[in-house]
Amino acid sequence: MKQTESQYQKHYNIFQNIGYYFRYYRQSIPAFLWLSLVEIVFGAVSPLFGIYLPKLAVDLATKGVTWQRMWLTLGVFGGLCLCVRVAATASDSGKYFLYNTRRNELLAKVFLKTLRVPYRNVEEGETKDLYWKAMGIINQGDWSAIHKITYGTINIIRNVISFLLYSTVLSFLHPLVAALLILLALVQYVISLRKIKYMEKFRTETAELDKKKSYVLYSAMGNQAAAKDIRIFGMKRWLSREKDLLLDRSRKLEQKKSRADYFFWQAGSLLNLGRDIFAYGYLLSQVLAGVVGPGEFVLYFGAITGFSGFVGSIMDSLAELRSGSLETNYYRTYMELPEEDRETGKRHISELTQPVSIEFKDVSFSYDKAAEKKIFDHFNLKINAGEKLALVGVNGAGKTTLVKLLTGMYEPDEGSILINGVDRKEFPREELYRLFSAVFQEPFILPVTVAENLTFEVDYDSDKAWDALERAGLAGKFREKGVKLDTFFDKDIDENGIELSGGEQQRFLLARALYKDAPILVLDEPTAALDPIAESEVYDNYARYSDNKTAVFISHRLASTRFSDRIVLLGEGGILEEGSHQELMKRQGAYAEMFEVQSRYYAKDKLEKEVF
Amino acid sequence: MLEESKLLEKLPLKQHLHNIKRVLKLLMSLDQSYIPWNVVAVLLSTALSYGGMILSAYVLNRIAGGFAFAELFQKVILGVVLLSLGGSVLGILNRRIDVKSQMMAESYLALQQEKIMNMDFSMIDSPRLKELRERIRLENNWGAGIFTVFWCGKGVLEAVVRIIGAIVIGIPMFSYFGKEDLGWLWGVLFLLCLFLGIGLKLYRYFQNMEHYVMFHVPTAEEKKFLWNYVWDFAYGSWHYRYGNGKDVRIYNSYEVMKKWTYDKLQGKEFFDYTIKRPGIGSAGSYGIQTALYVLSQIGAYGIVIMAALKGSMPVGSLILYADCLANMMIQATYVVTAGLDLSLAARKQVGILELLELSDEMYKGALPMEKRSDNEYHIAFRNVSFKYPGSEEYALKSFSLEFKVGERLAIVGRNGSGKTTMIKLLCRLYDPDEGEILVNGVDIKKFRHDEYAKLFSVVFQDYVLFSLMLAENIAADKDYDEEMVRRCLADAGFEERLEKLGEKGIESFLYKDYTDEGVEISGGEAQKLAIARAIYKEAPFVLLDEPTAALDPLAEAEIYSNFDKIAGDKTAIYISHRLSSCRFCDKIAVFDKGRLVQTGSHEELLADEGGVYASLWNAQAKYYEAG
Repeated sequence: MKQTESQYQKHYNIFQNIGYYFRYYRQSIPAFLWLSLVEIVFGAVSPLFGIYLPKLAVDLATKGVTWQRMWLTLGVFGGLCLCVRVAATASDSGKYFLYNTRRNELLAKVFLKTLRVPYRNVEEGETKDLYWKAMGIINQGDWSAIHKITYGTINIIRNVISFLLYSTVLSFLHPLVAALLILLALVQYVISLRKIKYMEKFRTETAELDKKKSYVLYSAMGNQAAAKDIRIFGMKRWLSREKDLLLDRSRKLEQKKSRADYFFWQAGSLLNLGRDIFAYGYLLSQVLAGVVGPGEFVLYFGAITGFSGFVGSIMDSLAELRSGSLETNYYRTYMELPEEDRETGKRHISELTQPVSIEFKDVSFSYDKAAEKKIFDHFNLKINAGEKLALVGVNGAGKTTLVKLLTGMYEPDEGSILINGVDRKEFPREELYRLFSAVFQEPFILPVTVAENLTFEVDYDSDKAWDALERAGLAGKFREKGVKLDTFFDKDIDENGIELSGGEQQRFLLARALYKDAPILVLDEPTAALDPIAESEVYDNYARYSDNKTAVFISHRLASTRFSDRIVLLGEGGILEEGSHQELMKRQGAYAEMFEVQSRYYAKDKLEKEVF
Repeated sequence: MLEESKLLEKLPLKQHLHNIKRVLKLLMSLDQSYIPWNVVAVLLSTALSYGGMILSAYVLNRIAGGFAFAELFQKVILGVVLLSLGGSVLGILNRRIDVKSQMMAESYLALQQEKIMNMDFSMIDSPRLKELRERIRLENNWGAGIFTVFWCGKGVLEAVVRIIGAIVIGIPMFSYFGKEDLGWLWGVLFLLCLFLGIGLKLYRYFQNMEHYVMFHVPTAEEKKFLWNYVWDFAYGSWHYRYGNGKDVRIYNSYEVMKKWTYDKLQGKEFFDYTIKRPGIGSAGSYGIQTALYVLSQIGAYGIVIMAALKGSMPVGSLILYADCLANMMIQATYVVTAGLDLSLAARKQVGILELLELSDEMYKGALPMEKRSDNEYHIAFRNVSFKYPGSEEYALKSFSLEFKVGERLAIVGRNGSGKTTMIKLLCRLYDPDEGEILVNGVDIKKFRHDEYAKLFSVVFQDYVLFSLMLAENIAADKDYDEEMVRRCLADAGFEERLEKLGEKGIESFLYKDYTDEGVEISGGEAQKLAIARAIYKEAPFVLLDEPTAALDPLAEAEIYSNFDKIAGDKTAIYISHRLSSCRFCDKIAVFDKGRLVQTGSHEELLADEGGVYASLWNAQAKYYEAG
């Protein structure tokens, strides 16, 4: 699958990426490095005990020592072996927890990064892809890049030491033997490279199939939200058949991969057969020549057969490092995305007289710079200080985009947005955000306490918090249920935790906006989930909510336009109509038509049949 | 929520064996040939490994005497080639087994998911299933799930076969010991057994330290320092979606979110609980295992060398016997440790087995639904009361309502008044706690459920479309009638968008979850597809729950004016907060706090000025009055 590369893509080499992770360990979990060191040293030495034990046994038996001496020798050897091996395995398994649990910390960092890059990036498919890749790099257990690089590096160092030790042993036999074995290992390496390259051709299909399987098995069949639809429409058969087809394809693919894998493995095992024949032949000839006794015979035979194992492991680890390093670059690309500049600015919002005015001046904007049609093309709109503006338009007219431009989530491609006549770029972004109280469509309620959700402050004002709840029409309900400001929105951590219904959620979001009490109030469909009476309450209170503020109200329910000073009807990349309700109705234009369509059902007199 | 994990409790051996048996039975049902293949592979691998040992022992024995190079080398080559051939066969076997394992694991998962699709709907959010799911999550949080069963099962089998092999090969060794050796032999054996016993005890001790973090459900005290939302936030589960980034910036919630993610991971108590204790446990248990391994080996070599010191044992045999004896002891330890792991792995599957064995209670009716060509259905709710599983409050209370086919019924009421609940009861997603629901005078529980379910088409408020083919989504099946799909899409007002889909048309995939070639559709378009799906089903009852909440006024009006096409000559129930929808319904039912408080036509209800309907209507209509 060919993918266009992100403009932010980083290209670090293997050493830089190894350094990256190990620097992190040094800072965050130095004990991990110490344990690794212990594991490397003792782990590298411990195979030697395995090949020396038979030699020791043969020597002891043939030299005819006393049994006391035999047990003593064996005891010393065994004690040493015990210490070395226990140290190696204990440090290895102990360090795993140290590293594995700390991965969560890295996950947290990836997530928090998401909150610091410009919002525009967060929405982009490219950044989302990068995000999921970065998460996978930390979190796919022992297949993740961080594991490949960390353990790959440790394994290489350990195996290289073992390799050198065995080479030393073998060079006592004949230096050329070691050389020959290295040559053999190189051939093995070439085979494994060919294998990696060959197996590459299954990768696209495997990834595609994995995506489909994971979707059908987890997201579709196991989707609790879809349980009603699955039953009502009898979708079991459909999804099960889809699953059967996928599992069938999966089986065939796995068999194909398995056959290919066998082929390469068989080639390698033929090489090992040659090696064993050579080892026996050479050692037997050495025995005949009187150079090697039975003790050395077992030692060298063990060394020769064990030797290629280290070389093989080194080669495997190298391959892991390579792929791990490529993946790590995605992670680093994500972590090194430029962050929002929140601090710099010449002006301060404290200088502004309130309420503030906002002006869109010649603003052009489109999601895709290459697109022919822009969402906004030289768009102009001035919202006066203290004005109540209603924003209406059909789905896709650009209301949501306008809100994002307004609240500073997006920057215009061209033109500027002025606050009290000053280009907003002159204010630090951090302060700019302080200008807005907003209720967006997707509910954002964290499973933390009521107060934290309402204020996001450490030292919150609890009177002010209750007042905001009161004004949003929630305080009564909360008191009735015994909800306090430190109650959690989560039953798992707090047994008195609360869950809010859709309507209550919308009221809570409103309470948050009221608590913040910022100069500009933006409400995006704040009543969609409310019943008529609750909706009407919000409308009735709107004047109080927006008192002495500049306010923007977005709704499909045109009733909401009745208490706004001015209505702006968006469409076709700009403003179609604007004016007060009365003015627009008089114009008999698009707004009047929309209002007519919605209101005719509410007419006092009997509906005429032709309406349908 | 589980109070305490069952995995840390002691179980009698009998129960362990029972668990293992259940899991093995399940494996057999997934793939009958799996166990036989494994037995063959284990036998072959054991034979090969002892074959290699015997070959090198033979060579070593010959070296000690005089030998002719050519003759011995020929034999060696023969031996090595035979072993290699055996290895090739084993290579094939093991790869087959790997593929089988993987496919079995996938089928196993599919089995669980199918079970969830098939079980009673009321079970899905029941406390019982929630508890079971929590248990399964906890049990499978660590380790490799069913694969651990495969590995440990194979490990135990292999260890047993190896012990038998070692005994068979090692038997001649005893001829080298005399009566005089018995004394010290017992002594050494006693010591080794002592070490093994202590070692296994310690192993269990350390393993429990490790298992504590894995399977123990944190107490309220422990939760205080353990609780964090790294995973919930990072994986965008219900708490955080990327769109919430707007709120994060406006309300500066970064610090709060950092507090509950990164900061919570930094505490000392957190470190001790999640890293230190299991780390020490893991280091200890693996360390002990290694120590036992080394002790067994050294002990075995010592014993055999004692016999060899007498002078008659050839050196090759010495190493062969020593290795066999060491193998016996090491594998015996391994049988115990792998056995423990196996019993744990099997125990971790019990939650899933129980899920698979959950029996359905609801759909036991046997009465066939009479096929009425005239679609004459009459529905009656009689005194129905209902509480959601695990809830104290009545969602519906002493509720009665009747309607017949061809009617347009609008249901209105405040949030939480029981509107959606009524639909769910009607479709038999739940059964009433009290009272009954009758279709043509028969309690709906008595009908065959599959036939009964055909009566209803529903567009739920929280409908779901799957990221599969568009046409399949409409037909809710792999096979679909192309003409009909097109017609339904047109009736739902999707025609225009369909044209923009280009060549692939109704064969396009929705969204990008299944394939990158999928098309993104807006909320309004999705709603139209959900409506088209409801039309396609051609059920006599069409139930619409807030179908226009996400639509703009024009799109809403389009649905309204298409309503006749959608409902046709069928019975339609329409739930909406937009009371305008009441105007094209024959009858309006007004719900309040789980009760039916008013029924009648719009005009009738409006006439009752103090009624709930009038207050709802006026609250909305006053904004639309001319002025």
